[in-house]
Amino acid sequence: MTDYVMEAKHVYKTYRIKGEKKGDVKIVEAVKDVSLQIRKGDIKLIFGPSGSGKSTFLRCMDMLDIPDKGEIYLGDECLTVKGLDLNKARARIGFVFQHIYLFRHLTALGNVELALRQVLKLPKEEARKRAMAALEEVKITDCINKYPAQLSGGQAQRVGIARAIARQPDIILLDEPTSALDPELTGEVIDTLRDLAHEGTTMLIVSHEMPFAREVAEEMIFYDEGHIIETGSPMGFFNAPNTDRAKQFMDRIINRTTR
Amino acid sequence: MPGWEQLIYLLEGVPLTLSISIISFLIGIAIGLPLAFTKIYEKEIAFVVDAYEKIFRGIPEIVLMLLFFFGLGPFFPTPFNNAFFVACFVLGLRSGANQSHIYRGAIRGVGDEQMLAGTSVGFSKWRAIWYIMIPQVFTFSTAGLGSEYALLIKDSAYVYVLALLDVTKRADQLRINTGDVTWYIIAALVYIALTFPLAFALDRWGNKRKNKIGL
Repeated sequence: MTDYVMEAKHVYKTYRIKGEKKGDVKIVEAVKDVSLQIRKGDIKLIFGPSGSGKSTFLRCMDMLDIPDKGEIYLGDECLTVKGLDLNKARARIGFVFQHIYLFRHLTALGNVELALRQVLKLPKEEARKRAMAALEEVKITDCINKYPAQLSGGQAQRVGIARAIARQPDIILLDEPTSALDPELTGEVIDTLRDLAHEGTTMLIVSHEMPFAREVAEEMIFYDEGHIIETGSPMGFFNAPNTDRAKQFMDRIINRTTR
Repeated sequence: MPGWEQLIYLLEGVPLTLSISIISFLIGIAIGLPLAFTKIYEKEIAFVVDAYEKIFRGIPEIVLMLLFFFGLGPFFPTPFNNAFFVACFVLGLRSGANQSHIYRGAIRGVGDEQMLAGTSVGFSKWRAIWYIMIPQVFTFSTAGLGSEYALLIKDSAYVYVLALLDVTKRADQLRINTGDVTWYIIAALVYIALTFPLAFALDRWGNKRKNKIGL
């Protein structure tokens, strides 16, 4: 038995993007030899410049992007083994997207309920009960019958979080959950995440919400150019990062948020 | 002036015209949806879809009907000796090619992100398609499906060559018996009456639905 809820071992991922000229292909090394362990109840926060590959790494953890090399473990199960039923594994992992991606044809309740019914195959009443509990958790109870288009960004993202937690996954991966929201709406999402944190939810979060990180994260991970550059406690990062690059980045971010 | 009895005789062709169009439309859905998703999500066998579309959009329906009815009918009397079946089958195959085209555009419109979200909650590709993509794809396709339906109503007149007594065939019989070409005009009006309301209703339903889900 492993101690880890999730573990990445020497993961690599490159992808090609089309360049400006025709036939021009650029190879981006988004993840280069990244290893990471997460224990039950851990809250870890990945931050770093945009385009550094953080999101790609997070997607690799959920096998939404398949790593080129390296291993991903969910508990004792190796997800990077060929022929494994990835859908079963993904059902045990919650994923929250930056751009939310709620199912547009379903109401808030329908969004949360769908996987409970059709993936976990719960009976109707049980699924309804669990979906309602998840929506209560994120404090969306007054607009459960609204469609995504009728929700504010903050409400929609909270439904996104409810959709991720309703299956009671082993871990929740969050890819910049507040970055696409208007500044005045980030607060409600952060409040929701704080509640989850206090309940001991295991989370790996890509985010630049520094005050939130300082409050709940056990560990912050500075990620740049496909690598983990530095890992440490929030206190360490806020007081004195070890690497110059992390220092520069922290300066920029803190100046920006206090400006 | 056309007589009432003759008019009723003409209108008795409506159920046949309607049922051929509706059945072939449904066959078209059953063929078109899997083809469209295969083309987009199963890249290795996408060429099969291309070939299918080219073949069935390229051959005149009349040729196929005659081929199936007279070519296969003698060897496989069930079902190819049945003109009604052959009519629905041929128009359904053709409609499948057209609808595949319509749905493909719609799938691109719905966007890959919906599939990604579906995958992230534990759905397999084809189950995500069923529960997440297809309901949205229909909303996106109403305009195209409306004109496809109108096309089928019109093309059902080809069953004339299989000696089925649809609206067109009956109009022709009446013209022969009475020498009055007005029957063709009445047939034309019947066709318009058959296509217009459904295409209209489909369009309205689509717009209402699009509003609701914010597309």
